Amino acid sequence: MRRLFRLLILLTLILAPAGMAAAQTGPQRTDEIEAELVSMSRWATPGGTTVVAVRQKIEPGWHTYWRNPGDSGGPTTLQWTLPTGVKAGDIVWPLPERQRLQGLVNYGYEGAVYLPVPVEIPASARPGSTLPLRVKALFLVCSDEMCIPRELTLGLDLPIREGAAPQDAAHGAAIARILEQARRPAGITARATLENGVLTLSATGGPLAGGDPGPTYFFPFESGTIDHAGAQSGSWGPNGLTLVLTAGGKMAAGGLTGPVAGVLATSKGAFEITAQPGAPLPGATGSGALAPLDDAAPTPGASAPATGWIVFAQALVFALLGGLILNLMPCVFPILAMKAAALAASAHDARHARADGLAFLAGVLTTFIILAGALLGLRAAGEAVGWGFQLQSAPVTAGLALLMLAVALNLSGVFHIGGGLQGVGSGPLSRLPGGAGSFFTGALAVIVAAPCTAPFMAFALGAALLMPWPMALAVFLMLGLGLALPYVAISLTPRLLSKLPRPGAWMDRLKSLLAFPMYGAALWLAWVFSNQTGAEGLGLLFAAGLAGATGLWLVGAGQGERALGRRGVIHTIAGAALLLAMLGAATLAARAPVEAPSADAGTGELSSAPWSAQAVQTALSEGRPVLVNFTADWCVTCKINERTSLTTPGVKRAMEQSRAVYLIGDWTRRDDAITAELQRHGRSGVPLYLLYRPGQAGPEILPQLLTEGVVVEALKP
Amino acid sequence: MPGQAAPAFTLIDSEGAPRSLADFRGKIVVLEWTNEGCPYVQKHYSGAMQALQREAAEDGIVWLSVISSAPGTQGHVEGESARSWKTRTKANATHLLLDPTGQVGRAYGAKTTPDMRIIDREGRLVFVGGIDDKPTNDVADLQGATNFVRAALDDVMSDRPVRTAFATPYGCSVKYADEA
Repeated sequence: MRRLFRLLILLTLILAPAGMAAAQTGPQRTDEIEAELVSMSRWATPGGTTVVAVRQKIEPGWHTYWRNPGDSGGPTTLQWTLPTGVKAGDIVWPLPERQRLQGLVNYGYEGAVYLPVPVEIPASARPGSTLPLRVKALFLVCSDEMCIPRELTLGLDLPIREGAAPQDAAHGAAIARILEQARRPAGITARATLENGVLTLSATGGPLAGGDPGPTYFFPFESGTIDHAGAQSGSWGPNGLTLVLTAGGKMAAGGLTGPVAGVLATSKGAFEITAQPGAPLPGATGSGALAPLDDAAPTPGASAPATGWIVFAQALVFALLGGLILNLMPCVFPILAMKAAALAASAHDARHARADGLAFLAGVLTTFIILAGALLGLRAAGEAVGWGFQLQSAPVTAGLALLMLAVALNLSGVFHIGGGLQGVGSGPLSRLPGGAGSFFTGALAVIVAAPCTAPFMAFALGAALLMPWPMALAVFLMLGLGLALPYVAISLTPRLLSKLPRPGAWMDRLKSLLAFPMYGAALWLAWVFSNQTGAEGLGLLFAAGLAGATGLWLVGAGQGERALGRRGVIHTIAGAALLLAMLGAATLAARAPVEAPSADAGTGELSSAPWSAQAVQTALSEGRPVLVNFTADWCVTCKINERTSLTTPGVKRAMEQSRAVYLIGDWTRRDDAITAELQRHGRSGVPLYLLYRPGQAGPEILPQLLTEGVVVEALKP
Repeated sequence: MPGQAAPAFTLIDSEGAPRSLADFRGKIVVLEWTNEGCPYVQKHYSGAMQALQREAAEDGIVWLSVISSAPGTQGHVEGESARSWKTRTKANATHLLLDPTGQVGRAYGAKTTPDMRIIDREGRLVFVGGIDDKPTNDVADLQGATNFVRAALDDVMSDRPVRTAFATPYGCSVKYADEA
């Protein structure tokens, strides 16, 4: 009997919270507002940060308020009740509408709106369980006539599972859009002055530089900063813009005593700025007046910031330039070697050269489309991936290393592709890169080279990822066009081709020479692979490489036999068997256990710490500048920058003098936090160099091609 | 703005008598914009506002509550309903002034209910803005809030400069008539 009693108590204890939870989840409503706690992704992972949101559906004629409600009203407030270890952050406020009401202006929301909140899940959360999240939401719901405070208790039972979660089908995309648009410091510097009741804000840098920002509006975080109902006018210049505002009561009465913070909404997007008191910034005026914003117009920046046709055209041009410049980046050298060999061969057959060039172009464009499609698809499914994601996978790196080895062996003349009998007999170069070969070279160029971003590419890629997919694909196509353009242009210019020397023995020698960049590429990929997996994996990859090389040599020997009229069957079979062995070893290599990365790998003497937003804040709070290097082992540009510009004695001295902290964000393997941080700065790939200075709102973004001088100069106080 | 001369006005009170600011020259005057239907006003009228009005009256301070709600909007009262307003709210204001055109409210830049003004004996505005530092409609927040009006009145009474001369007003919008 007693046991039964105990069992009953136990059952009640187990069932009671679940019953309570069920009563509170789902939409809750009053006459004016319906609210629900929803999640951006289908589940949360232990130790991760997930995003939930308070969804509001407001009846027509009613509204709720932004963090600064404007002339009247009050913001929505949330009081959380969370399981132990779960922490809810602040609301990521979506950009508000301006609501004019009898001479007053409020900042708020009508219709449907989400208030996203980041939630930290403790590492101890058990996969398979659910976490009950409860929140008491206080909405001040107002119409033109009256205000009603409404309190709703909302609940969400958040499933915990391992692995990256896909987006919630109903709400994920809408919440993600708010996160993308909201809070982008974006390296903007801002200053504020107050004179005779006029508050002048100047803001420069980042996305504000270079071009008309369109209608612009400043939403201050604090009420009393500006006259909310006052007109906002101003002008723009080469570096940014200047806004002239009527000071609000608090500002006019108390003066300008500290920084003015808020959201600057422009047609280029909305950006959080903190304007320090100080003289107006140069280059923030002079090119034209800011377009006036009338009441009927939607808040600028509220629509997707990157979908404007101007931004689209800009992204296309930058993509083409970026693709072109990519040809000069170290990542593409091995592929250029292949193309040079092909070009030398086909130079004196204009028709052949043309077909060759177009096949190469087709290869580049097709691969760009496939990669971009995969990238956009993964992102739509809620995966945090960025440009270059293909090289974050160890099996892909291993496969590419072996492929590079095979190409190099081919250039060394160990075996021939597609040549068959007649090939070996006549000049050995003539058939290496036929139509299929050229297409394949193009594909390879993209897979290996594209993860490196070049100057101008960063903007195009960042913008593309915020665009609707047809526009995004167009930007990717332009990148491909840029990458292929130099080679295509040469192959389509018979006059240029005829200037090349006639084929001869020199071509053989050139080809053998060009094999070495390919060997280099294979070694480099093997090194990347070793950093992704470990020494054991690398050993297996080397074994696979040796087996493959021997196999290909046997294949070549078989080809030679047949060229002499013999069968060469045994050699071919032996070759095929070895190729199989290579595949097996490569699979093993890819599955090799991942070792913890050794601290401070490859950064020379400069002492560094791993990047985290926390580390940046800690250093800044100690008053020290912070240099952040977002890098990846497979990013050749990053590695070259690190060798030439980040680890030199000069830079080391400058770092010591300014007491700077050096943080490294290693993106060699997938890291969602780094992906998110890159995105916050409008990037989708590495390298990215950020320099934070204490007391400044946002970091300065350093160029992608560094020199020692640039770094030393930037570190100067 | 604090420091400026308070704009002159004449309004009809709840008893139907005209009241001018000039009538109170030489006295400290508090202006309070109010709207009974506003949850922020209701918070302060849970007792705190009435107590502050009583203390002010004991100190010889003139307290004028102003209703700038236009006819047909929330808070608008006239005649009998204006007289019953004081009974209902148990208010201790000196007079309840009716500003249906919103002229006086706009002259003083009143934006919300409550929105407060303090005029010193020389007729200068010495305090402008929100009543305290807890911009909510939750009665519990009256506890521990710094009441700027009380502090400013103490300062004026003891001939000290007002320490907080401006506070951001908060609350419901004043239900003004549409601008002609």
